[in-house]
Amino acid sequence: MAKTVAEIADAMYKLVKDATGQKKLKATDLTKAMVELYGDEVDKQLCKDAIKELMNSGKCVYTYFGGSFIELPHREGAAND
Amino acid sequence: MTDERRTDYGPPHYERFLPPIIKENYGKWKYHEVLKPGVMVHVSESGAHLYSVRAASSRLLSIEKIRAYCDLADKYCGGYLRFTSRHNVEFLLSDAKNIDPLIADLKKLGHPVGGLQNSISAIVHTQGWIHCHSAATDASGVVKAVMDDLLEYFTEMKLPGKLRIALACCLNMCGAVHCSDIAILGIHRRPPRVDHENLHKMCEIPNVSASCPTAAIRPAMVGGKQSVEVLEERCMFCANCFTVCPSMPLADPLNDGVSIWVGGKVSNARHEPMFSKLAIPFLPNNPPRWPEVTEAIRNLVELWAKNARKYERMGEWIERIGWPKFFRMSGIEFRKEHIDDFKHAGLTFKRSTHLTF
Amino acid sequence: MAESLPKTPMLDELEKGGWPSFVKEIKLAAKKSPMAVDLLGLLERSYKEKIGHWKHGGIVGVMGYGGGVIGRYNDLPEVYPNISHFHTIRVNQPAGWFYKSDALRSICDIWEKRGSSLTNMHGSTGDIILLGTRTEQLEPIFAELSKVDFDLGGSGSDVRTPSCCCGMARCEWACYDTMRTCYDFTMKFQDELHRPAFPYKFKFKFSGCPNDCVASIARADMSIIGTWRDSIQMDKAAVTEYAKNGMDIQSEVVDNCPAKCMDWDGKELHIENSYCRRCMHCINVMPKALRPGKDRGATILLGSKAPIVEGALLSSVLIPFIKMEPPYKELTDIIDRIWELWCEEGKNRERVGEFIQRVGLGNFLEAIEVDPVPEMVAHPRENPYVFYEEYFEAGDEGSEEEEK
Repeated sequence: MAKTVAEIADAMYKLVKDATGQKKLKATDLTKAMVELYGDEVDKQLCKDAIKELMNSGKCVYTYFGGSFIELPHREGAAND
Repeated sequence: MTDERRTDYGPPHYERFLPPIIKENYGKWKYHEVLKPGVMVHVSESGAHLYSVRAASSRLLSIEKIRAYCDLADKYCGGYLRFTSRHNVEFLLSDAKNIDPLIADLKKLGHPVGGLQNSISAIVHTQGWIHCHSAATDASGVVKAVMDDLLEYFTEMKLPGKLRIALACCLNMCGAVHCSDIAILGIHRRPPRVDHENLHKMCEIPNVSASCPTAAIRPAMVGGKQSVEVLEERCMFCANCFTVCPSMPLADPLNDGVSIWVGGKVSNARHEPMFSKLAIPFLPNNPPRWPEVTEAIRNLVELWAKNARKYERMGEWIERIGWPKFFRMSGIEFRKEHIDDFKHAGLTFKRSTHLTF
Repeated sequence: MAESLPKTPMLDELEKGGWPSFVKEIKLAAKKSPMAVDLLGLLERSYKEKIGHWKHGGIVGVMGYGGGVIGRYNDLPEVYPNISHFHTIRVNQPAGWFYKSDALRSICDIWEKRGSSLTNMHGSTGDIILLGTRTEQLEPIFAELSKVDFDLGGSGSDVRTPSCCCGMARCEWACYDTMRTCYDFTMKFQDELHRPAFPYKFKFKFSGCPNDCVASIARADMSIIGTWRDSIQMDKAAVTEYAKNGMDIQSEVVDNCPAKCMDWDGKELHIENSYCRRCMHCINVMPKALRPGKDRGATILLGSKAPIVEGALLSSVLIPFIKMEPPYKELTDIIDRIWELWCEEGKNRERVGEFIQRVGLGNFLEAIEVDPVPEMVAHPRENPYVFYEEYFEAGDEGSEEEEK
């Protein structure tokens, strides 16, 4: 059974949440993890759509530290109020 | 639900911004000629003549200046203008009578006209201290000082060929300086000062170690905190670690400065594209006018101008005469720093007896 | 609203001289913008101290996009509170950097209201750079840009804003329609441009001829450079005219030909086109007499970059000649395969060129299903260390043993 965008977005969100403070994940890390987890039930386009959903919902944000990552929203170290 | 958020619509279509004469002659241009410094005409198969007037700009522009450009474009060419890949502004005229009044207005505005053919065009450059976190020198200030000094070579066409100068304020090279006739490159010379107090909060330690191309960074406990140590003798000051981790700053007033590189080119004309090579390993940051840098660059420009054959770019000239002669003629001291010791360095050693004396 | 300007004796020095002064620009902006006032003060301080005062922000952006905004904070926010935030916005430029005044004015109006009033026309990526604003202004700026049809550009590990030369709009040498191709590619790859999903950045630059006015071969991961396959078009009468007007065709044209494929007998110029390397020199020097041939297209090269991390690279040939016509399917299929491979196996911050260096061009070509051709190398290998992947055992089908 193919997964829905919302299901994949939730699974990705959990990955990001669990990795917080341990390792910054990239979009490709999330996609690879989904393929590993769900095999034929996901494809790349579905993962792309799920990431888009995750971002548009505001549950995750893109960050940049010498490369782009996907993280939970937080106040960054460099920020001035 | 509110209105669907508009995303992914891309830039406006360029056709909206093309003057009628370009729309009518798109793809039909037959030849062009440079009429005088900064002015060229493109002639179409249809017989149409399009005049372009190129003026220098400082790249960093206030909206007041952009509005002034717009006023000139409205006055002389139906509101149409463009910018070049080297930050010049160009006005696109269909009436030759407007050329000289436009040039006069540009001069009043403080923008000299030139930069075509055998001249020095504007310097491609980066942000420097105006905006960059990793700058080893300023960009706009060095460019201003160098071009004030070389202005005659922008407004006249008296050089043997083209000369392209570029400046990058650190090794990231946002301005691709690595293939320029003369490149000005900001460099650090002091290894990163690790902020042990905050590093573990700001950065992932495995990422920081992995970022170093020479494996000079190792995880370490410092003062009871997880951090990293730097094997200083292995540091080549690339600042890649700083890019992935802000707790590894390299900027340092005593040791930062500028290096000068020569002989690169991008165009395929005659010689294939080439990288620039190290000419002067280090010159100090000496604001506001960087006199050591402006002097070094004027010397290089004039040495090339005096000795190169027609059309010969800096790199082509040096290749013809050989690097030893270049160092003798320029008076630049050849030092250990000039010899490559990174990957494939052996390919840059002289492997023949083709030498001049 | 204007504040009194800080004392800036060092910067004031750079108001003098004949080249346009960026200090004058900042002061023009400072008439209305408190951000520009503080920038003057901070920059003067950098000139005195010989060090920058900016911190890199890594999280600010507009909702849903991972590119287009570069976060900046100064490290002395109490002293320069107006530029405590000073984020850059990259706005995707129209192809070829052509504008009509009304469009530029609309950007100026937004930026006067919501930013520092300072810009770069343009940044190194080709984008319009809006230099310096606060976090809370990002969304309103994006909304207002959207109303005047300007979208954000790329930043981070995504497709960077593609850029191109003016091509057929104003150049007789354009061997394909650079502006159209640049626009089409920008639109096709909007998702990849706004939502970073790569190991690192990927740049397209489109040049109409081998003069390469956008430095594609030095700066683009994929360099698309116009060329032609047939003979240089020659107007013999115009050649004679150049000679009559004093051009020394032997020394200026023939002697500079890298292929030595031309000769000039004082009356007629002969080109042996099968040896021509498409360098452009003769055409550059005699634009009225010589033009690129009629069978035009592009050479596709791959992999250039500046030094960080593993050293600078120039792009190298991937496809010697391809017709550049919509929908560019052959090329975009190859691009898809390149991205798929690179996303699967590339390391963080590894550009395509570095990836190829690591895995080997031969292996890379095999994986993206492109056949090797001699145009891809300056010369074949000089060492005998070939990685053969298979070998025969006695009795194998096809082994010499069996053939006997």
